[in-house]
Amino acid sequence: MKIKIIEKFKAMDKRERRIYCRELLINNSLYIFLVAAIVLIQCVNPRFLSWPSIINIISLSAANLPIALGIAGAIILTGTDLSAGRIVGLVACVSAALLQSSSYAGKMFPGLNTLPIFVVFLIVIAIGALIGFVNGFCTATFHLHPFIVTLSTQLIVYGALLLFLMTGNNNGQSLSGLDPSFTNFIKGSVLSLGGTPIPNYVFYVLILTAIMWVVWNKTTFGKNMFAVGSNPDAANVSGVNVKRVIILVFMLAGALYGMTGFIEAARIGSNSAATGLNYELDAIAACVIGGVSFVGGTGKISGVILGVVLLRLIFVGLTFLGIDANMQYIIKGLIILIACAIDMRKYLVRR
Amino acid sequence: MKFRVWAIVLACALFLGSFVACGKRQDADVHIFYYTFSDTYVSSVRDTLDRTLEEKGISHQDYDANGNQTTQTEQIRTAVTQGAKVLLVNIVNTGSDDAASEIVGLAKDAGIPLVFFNREVSNAVIQSYDNCAFVGTHADEAGKLQGEMIGEYLLEHYGSTDLNGDGKISYVLFKGEEGNNEAIFRTKYSVEKANEMLLAAEKPALRFYDAANTNGYLVDQNGQWSSAAANDYMNTVLASYNSNGNNMIELVICNNDSMAEGAISALNAAGYNKGGDSPAIPVFGVDATEAAKTLIRDGKMAGTVQQDAAGMANALALLSENSLDGSKNLMDGTDVFPVDENVRKLRIPYGKYRG
Repeated sequence: MKIKIIEKFKAMDKRERRIYCRELLINNSLYIFLVAAIVLIQCVNPRFLSWPSIINIISLSAANLPIALGIAGAIILTGTDLSAGRIVGLVACVSAALLQSSSYAGKMFPGLNTLPIFVVFLIVIAIGALIGFVNGFCTATFHLHPFIVTLSTQLIVYGALLLFLMTGNNNGQSLSGLDPSFTNFIKGSVLSLGGTPIPNYVFYVLILTAIMWVVWNKTTFGKNMFAVGSNPDAANVSGVNVKRVIILVFMLAGALYGMTGFIEAARIGSNSAATGLNYELDAIAACVIGGVSFVGGTGKISGVILGVVLLRLIFVGLTFLGIDANMQYIIKGLIILIACAIDMRKYLVRR
Repeated sequence: MKFRVWAIVLACALFLGSFVACGKRQDADVHIFYYTFSDTYVSSVRDTLDRTLEEKGISHQDYDANGNQTTQTEQIRTAVTQGAKVLLVNIVNTGSDDAASEIVGLAKDAGIPLVFFNREVSNAVIQSYDNCAFVGTHADEAGKLQGEMIGEYLLEHYGSTDLNGDGKISYVLFKGEEGNNEAIFRTKYSVEKANEMLLAAEKPALRFYDAANTNGYLVDQNGQWSSAAANDYMNTVLASYNSNGNNMIELVICNNDSMAEGAISALNAAGYNKGGDSPAIPVFGVDATEAAKTLIRDGKMAGTVQQDAAGMANALALLSENSLDGSKNLMDGTDVFPVDENVRKLRIPYGKYRG
């Protein structure tokens, strides 16, 4: 393969070579930017590429990955999901409420013993999937754009979250005092790199990502998802149950938000109605940066990972450089714009 | 066909749902406008105030502006036309007088008493309408008290806090929101007051951990004072400032307790502040939430500043009662609270909390 490309390159004349190089540069500009940014930050602050810092970037990315993987499914269907962040918030608060340590003074449900972690995990995944089902069901049955559906469910979920926080003897307080077994399960560490512990949730997310890769690439469901995304009518004609695929994609997304919220509950340690706010915007940004196109039907797991890592790198890098926080918005905005422009260009060339 | 069935089912559910929601509705006398339901401290005020008003038999209605001034102004406009008798406003926009003046205008035209609370408005706004008052705190007091606590703590434990023994305390500060007076004052005065005490004891001033950051703080970019923002920052900071580099952060100052919790969660992951014998970095917050009190009791947090939610709720209930009672003045019986000179501003005192 490599040799073939070299041979092909040798066979080109000068003009073709120049165009070829230019295309290569433009198409890989994100990776080039990534490397350049890393080199620059490393020059200014040599601690950037130390083990603690690398593991920090990995853990921050891992925490943001499941929600992005979920939203990517919705985007592949030419949709979007605005309810993601609020679902994360609701699920995080439910996880926290059910897993508060029984000795904690401000416990939401004082009579409730700390439930087994696995049971709570299943409960919150089910909550996520249920809300996802509502999203998918309304989208598929009423032929509404997911933007509208999730705009509504986002409000409903936020309302439910606020009501939930006022129940028990919580009175709107943030939920903390989590059981150590839960925080250890998520934040604890069994493996260290260069003396820095890697939090356990990084591995859970790795496993999850591997599963998602299989789902996207090796299952009929995954193939149907891409088929419906690129052309629902054609998919329908070729025997795909479009409605079912849409519902399943949103349910899967909901379950992934459930996973995000479950991790977030222990990772942050204090959960309030503000938890999860705007997470969907970062996740959507990560997806489009990584080439999951709003045109529908295209996207790769590796792209989503790239997008998530890039956004975290901007955050960490600018903090390392001590640059004014306001610049982060501008840089983030520019990157999303440029990334999408390049992506659309590739798409048009292919057509 | 199927589509229609589902649409009808949904419509019926909505119809029934709204009936249930309206079941116990009556026109409320006191209308309370919160800047957001998601704020932990304001939620505790809301909870206490709801209960106090119910005990007194005063009907009331709560609104959530969700951090949006336009939403809030529209809510107030609607409540006025609905026949509200008292307006209690936890205003969203504290940056300028415009929003507050507009609200005063609405209340004045309708002749309804208006009380701002928690988020402060200027004296001129209060003085522009006779039936207008403010219930809150001195914005600079929380920061000063926090600074005092930091100063007292450091003078007592200077040697053990200065981990690398360079004679200076390096700190990180998490700010809740840009452009909010409370946040600005807390950020400013906590460090100023602590430095004042340190210098008086001939110790060097606090040093922000990162000389390149001239702001001297890291801010929640969503303006939510959130623990998640503090947690992300703290993790990132700890990645390059730690005991391996002999430049560990030696002091953490937070604008509120949520952020303190987020910072402590990150410190836990790095092996600090786990209670018991584990090494602890002093973390200071504001609000004295239940969670923070527990952390302080467990030795995971150094201190917080208590904001008296019950005190604020009682003051608001008193003003509401006065307004509804035609024979009373708005400010009757408020002398149990500290009141500013020349302007109707009730100040609920803060207190230090160290467990």
